[in-house]
Amino acid sequence: MNTREKEAYLREYSILKSQGKPFFPYSIAKDAIMACVVMASIILMSLTLGAELGPKVDPTTTTYTPRPEWYFFFLFEVLRVVKPPSLTPLAAIGVPTICMILLFLLPFYDRSPERRPERRPIAMAAAFFTIAAMAFLTYEGANAGSPNQIDMEAPEAVVAQGAANLRTWESGKQVVAQSGCLACHKIGHNGGTLGPDLTAIGGRLARQAIARTLVNPTAPMPAYTELDEKKRDDLVEFLAQLKGGEH
Amino acid sequence: MANLKPPLPRALRPKPKGPSEDNGKAKPGRKEKLAQKGISTIDWIDERTALSGGARWVMFRKIPRGTNWFYTLGSASLFAFLSQAVTGVILAMYYDPSATRAYESVRYLTNEVFLGEFVRGMHKWGSTVMVILVFLHMGRTFFYGAYKYPRELNWVIGVVLLILTLFMSFTGYLLPFDQRSFWATTVGVAINGTGPLVGPYLNDFLRAGPEFGVTTLARFYALHMLVLPGAMAAMIGAHLYLVARLGTTAPPWLKADIPADSRKDGT
Amino acid sequence: MFATTRTAARLAHRKSPRDARFHFVARERKQPKKKLTTEEAQIPGAFEGETVSRRRFMTGTAHAASGIAVAAFTLPAVGFAVAPVFDKQEPRWETVGPVGDFPDDTYVPRTLTLVRGIGDVGKSTVYIRKYNTDLDDEERDEYNEFIAISTRCMHLGCPVRFVAASERFICPCHGGVYDFQGKVDGGPPVRPLDRFYTRIRNGNLEVGPRFSVNSELKRFSPRDPGMPLDGIGQYLYPARPSVRKLPNT
Repeated sequence: MNTREKEAYLREYSILKSQGKPFFPYSIAKDAIMACVVMASIILMSLTLGAELGPKVDPTTTTYTPRPEWYFFFLFEVLRVVKPPSLTPLAAIGVPTICMILLFLLPFYDRSPERRPERRPIAMAAAFFTIAAMAFLTYEGANAGSPNQIDMEAPEAVVAQGAANLRTWESGKQVVAQSGCLACHKIGHNGGTLGPDLTAIGGRLARQAIARTLVNPTAPMPAYTELDEKKRDDLVEFLAQLKGGEH
Repeated sequence: MANLKPPLPRALRPKPKGPSEDNGKAKPGRKEKLAQKGISTIDWIDERTALSGGARWVMFRKIPRGTNWFYTLGSASLFAFLSQAVTGVILAMYYDPSATRAYESVRYLTNEVFLGEFVRGMHKWGSTVMVILVFLHMGRTFFYGAYKYPRELNWVIGVVLLILTLFMSFTGYLLPFDQRSFWATTVGVAINGTGPLVGPYLNDFLRAGPEFGVTTLARFYALHMLVLPGAMAAMIGAHLYLVARLGTTAPPWLKADIPADSRKDGT
Repeated sequence: MFATTRTAARLAHRKSPRDARFHFVARERKQPKKKLTTEEAQIPGAFEGETVSRRRFMTGTAHAASGIAVAAFTLPAVGFAVAPVFDKQEPRWETVGPVGDFPDDTYVPRTLTLVRGIGDVGKSTVYIRKYNTDLDDEERDEYNEFIAISTRCMHLGCPVRFVAASERFICPCHGGVYDFQGKVDGGPPVRPLDRFYTRIRNGNLEVGPRFSVNSELKRFSPRDPGMPLDGIGQYLYPARPSVRKLPNT
């Protein structure tokens, strides 16, 4: 902004200001009503959601699945999707630091005198992109399931086949969750992305093919030869029933 | 000679008549007397502090026309901060920042103390509400171009406040000392450590040692309830001063309609 | 400083003490040797032979005294807060059981106390197995007859779990996977899982301090999660004074 633009703004502003109303009581009234709304929502959340205390801290655990507070989900998701180890420090501290510096210096690189949103297309595009990215990452982060369990209801086809089949399905699900499959494979919301997605594996591979792959896999997948017969059968049965669709 | 004397200091100049003298009645009623007492107390303070000028400057400054409900987000954030401060002080009365007793003290305060869970819930959800309000307030400032001349410095202070708010939620997260808080803090500290060169030392400083140790919790507690709120209060003071001094922005699409109808509404 | 170019003019038309101050800034920088006394600099009220004006002396005193006063509480406080960074931890050894308890084809979890005096919070789980001659190829010495692997993910410190069926260590947070030796198999972890020194005393296995390894399983002083040790990593994330690996290992 040059001196002329600064002067134009200050003049314009002083006129607008002189045409305004005093802070007290006009603005204060609005602020106070807003404060009531804020307190009402805090109190309502406190009453309905409470302040549940989790299990006592246990650093010896090997089964706990840590998750951050929801407003850090976006960072959590960034850390999950940035796979190459060489980029880990960049994702962990580089990106947030750069974002904060960009935010910090905003008035020093965006120096145009234009204030109307519709005439600042770059700023608005950047803002909407940032908001959309944060919203998307937050959503993805919130839905990232633990690799130690599968949050999936039995599909209707399995339920329709009767209780015995459902039991097999449930036990197969259990075996998959406990056998470390989800470290690399994704099933529904759970699991990693190092290996192929198994959410619809039953539609792509026949039962025998799945069983063969388990015993004689392509590297780096380990062979599941140590698994006992019953468990392996349940596992294969479960995977064969995964046809995608709703999960 | 008389007109060479310096003028009477402002504080000593005759005051306008108070309610007890000015109502035309022979004897002032109780109400007037009471009001007079209040006025003279304020006068007494003002004679010694001269605060009334500043108060008038803040309270009766004009806010440009066209302001809307989005302009309340800043004061709402401030209000959330105040709520956090008060509930935080109450929680501090029961909390014990030692690694062996912290969880038990939080459990006691949540389950046994009258209104304990309610107050802790207010603090917990208040932090969420505050983070949302701060982000919304920042969004309003961004979309209205309110960070531009002459308010650049206030934007910078605002970003510092945002960072402090996030640090507050990070340090506060450890304090209940349940599984969630411990592992979130472990990850948070590790993220800190990925900063090249300084990371390892920063971690040792944060944890007061190479592992999560005896005084780590106390350190987070001191940061959470002394260092960061102190810094925030100072920054909020500067932020508000600049708001009062530079004035609230008008909505960007509003154009001043110069004298043509020389409107004078409301005041 | 803008004042320097106008020194001469200011000397001639000095009006206020403010000007005098500018003048001194200028004189210090430009002509430090020429005017030794305040008299020569034509400061009003200068004494004979006086080299420092009273104002300048008092300005210096004000800065120095307030500086000392602030430092008097800042330095001890900062030192107190920073001291733990330099507090050297002595290595401790903890018995985890007879050597027969630990096979070489799978891991056995054991709980270890890393920090004493804070109860369960100072504990951690380690996975222990015997050195497997078919698999392990690192040089054998008195400290790796048994391999003890830490359960902290080297991405950002989450608790990893050993899954026997797939012979992998799996991190539940950001998708890190490690193979049987603790080397990174996939995902974002920057180095293999940390290990602990082990030694045998009277038929019992003892677990000592932690150390970090790079992708060739070379030993390094313990680092925190997220710090790579390959390439320039070990210099970007230097070892801390508080914890070191054992000498000559």
